[in-house]
Amino acid sequence: MENLINELKLKVIDALNLDGMTPEDIDDNAPLFGDEGLGLDSIDVLELIVLLEKNYGIRLASPAQGKEVFQSVAVMASYVEKNRTK
Amino acid sequence: MTKVFCIGCGLVTPVGNTPSEVLAAVRAGKSAFRLYDGWPEPYYASLLDRNGFEGPSFFDHIALQAARTAVQEAGIDASSSRVGLVLSTIKGNIEKIDTEDVSLAAAADTLAKGLGVKTAPVVVSNACISGLAALLQGVRMIRSGAYDHIIVVGAEVQSRFIVTGFQSLKALSLNPCKPFDADREGLNVGEAAAAMVLSAQPVSGNYFSGRDPKNQFPDTSTKPTHFSNWEIVDGAVRNDANHISGPSRTGEGSYNALRYVLEGVSAEELAFVNVHGTATRYNDQMEAIALNRAGLQDVPVNALKGIFGHTMGAAGILESIVSMKACDAGVVLPTQGFSQMGVEPAVNVSAQERKTDKKAFVKLLSGFGGVNGALLFRKGGAE
Amino acid sequence: MKQVSIPSGASLTELYRQWVGDYPKFFKMDTLSKLGFLLTEMLVHDEPDRFTFREDRAVLVFSREGCVTNDRHYAESMKDFPSPALFVYTLPNIVSGEISIRNKWGGESSAYVLESYDEARIWELVRQAFQDKCTKSALVAWIDCTSDSEWLTTAWLVNETDMF
Repeated sequence: MENLINELKLKVIDALNLDGMTPEDIDDNAPLFGDEGLGLDSIDVLELIVLLEKNYGIRLASPAQGKEVFQSVAVMASYVEKNRTK
Repeated sequence: MTKVFCIGCGLVTPVGNTPSEVLAAVRAGKSAFRLYDGWPEPYYASLLDRNGFEGPSFFDHIALQAARTAVQEAGIDASSSRVGLVLSTIKGNIEKIDTEDVSLAAAADTLAKGLGVKTAPVVVSNACISGLAALLQGVRMIRSGAYDHIIVVGAEVQSRFIVTGFQSLKALSLNPCKPFDADREGLNVGEAAAAMVLSAQPVSGNYFSGRDPKNQFPDTSTKPTHFSNWEIVDGAVRNDANHISGPSRTGEGSYNALRYVLEGVSAEELAFVNVHGTATRYNDQMEAIALNRAGLQDVPVNALKGIFGHTMGAAGILESIVSMKACDAGVVLPTQGFSQMGVEPAVNVSAQERKTDKKAFVKLLSGFGGVNGALLFRKGGAE
Repeated sequence: MKQVSIPSGASLTELYRQWVGDYPKFFKMDTLSKLGFLLTEMLVHDEPDRFTFREDRAVLVFSREGCVTNDRHYAESMKDFPSPALFVYTLPNIVSGEISIRNKWGGESSAYVLESYDEARIWELVRQAFQDKCTKSALVAWIDCTSDSEWLTTAWLVNETDMF
């Protein structure tokens, strides 16, 4: 699971152009959205949806479902573990 | 301030190529929507029939067709040094991106050559408000004194590029779109071309003398063929300064554009406001806020994308032409797809046709990049 | 009338760190928007009250190539996994939007595509934009990108009094 968490952090940093960030900068349980989090926005949610499909074969139905899954990297990792098809 | 009139129109739409055909279709709730196979996701769209078309570019073809119709109706000589050309399109010939120059400048050049326009064309590229911004540009060009007539053309064809893009944004609905409705779930894409000829004079060159399009000072002994005194009074474009793809939660830009065009104008004068009404959750809500802030909560509102879909670069011009013709016919067109109020505060939108005897309306649009635009149209009386 | 430009191929990240440094959204932007954003910084960085919302400044961006560089990126992504972050930049006017957002300029914003760099035409169109009674100044830029490392740019901050 730790590998997956680290892998996800790297992919998120890359997909969302979070320049200069490293996995160490992202707390596993920190909120990704909102002011206390990384301050991601609606387009970022959509990019993360693409990230899930491209890398793990998971298709989310809607941005609303995305908000649930992308609460934190830890939540994402757990969802990926359960639902990945690649 | 110099008055600017629309003296000729041209349309190429999936529900008709003349204003009367198109008006009849909208009044009857008749659209050309169907489900199409995508790449691979299917999409629901209102597309033109390309059957039998064999030319190099369908986009160039429809833009030219609409423009020629408008020029003919206006009876002007397109090659005059006092005639300008403005093109509005979002992606133009984007389907050819792997093989050709897809710069919008190339599309404008092709159109100018097809029409015989000698002055350098300009492309207004302002996302989904482009058509409205192009009309405003045409108005300004005439007011500058450098031109007598401006041909303003808007066109859009759909493609894998645009459709997959909107699909990636989860902005599309697989069902007929529902502007302002409680269950609205996104937009449908559309194709069309629409053109207007703007003029500093309210009459077409054909008006008095069918054979001499440059005749600005008519020989009154010949029979009139066309007269129009629809004026584009003024317009404004304003940025929300908020987000590049999400509308402002306070409708900032839309409200500011409305405020500008309605200065000195009473809401009572308006037959209706024809809005953007894409049927996305955010857009319609934003417009409702902007309309209410501008004091237009009681003015009839209508949206046309339930018939044409979102025709992008063509929308501002297509929807304005249809609105002028509707106003001429004394009607506020029904908003296809609407049934239950789904915005708060509410707006005065209806699924039924309504009557009106008023002779002015506002065209409102919004687009990516935080842009919003408003145009005020008014039918002049005899001078 | 202030005028600035950014040489083709310059490091935009370096310029960002030099002129701004605290606007992480910069890294999500496409090349056009980065250029527009930086050119604007160079022009207004020491303007008083520069982040106060205003409606009296237009943002007018001109080019020949529009956003064709971004179109190519999106078209590439479209082959297997279309990217929404790339798609939103496939419009020539997004750069005007990014400038408006950064600086809180709620006035007119637009993009024009011309056949070539034609200064006379640019100023003719800018002068016409001043027909909007609210517009008292304008950020005018020619930003023509043929790739993410090749461009021709120049920008001006124009006041109404410069025009007439």
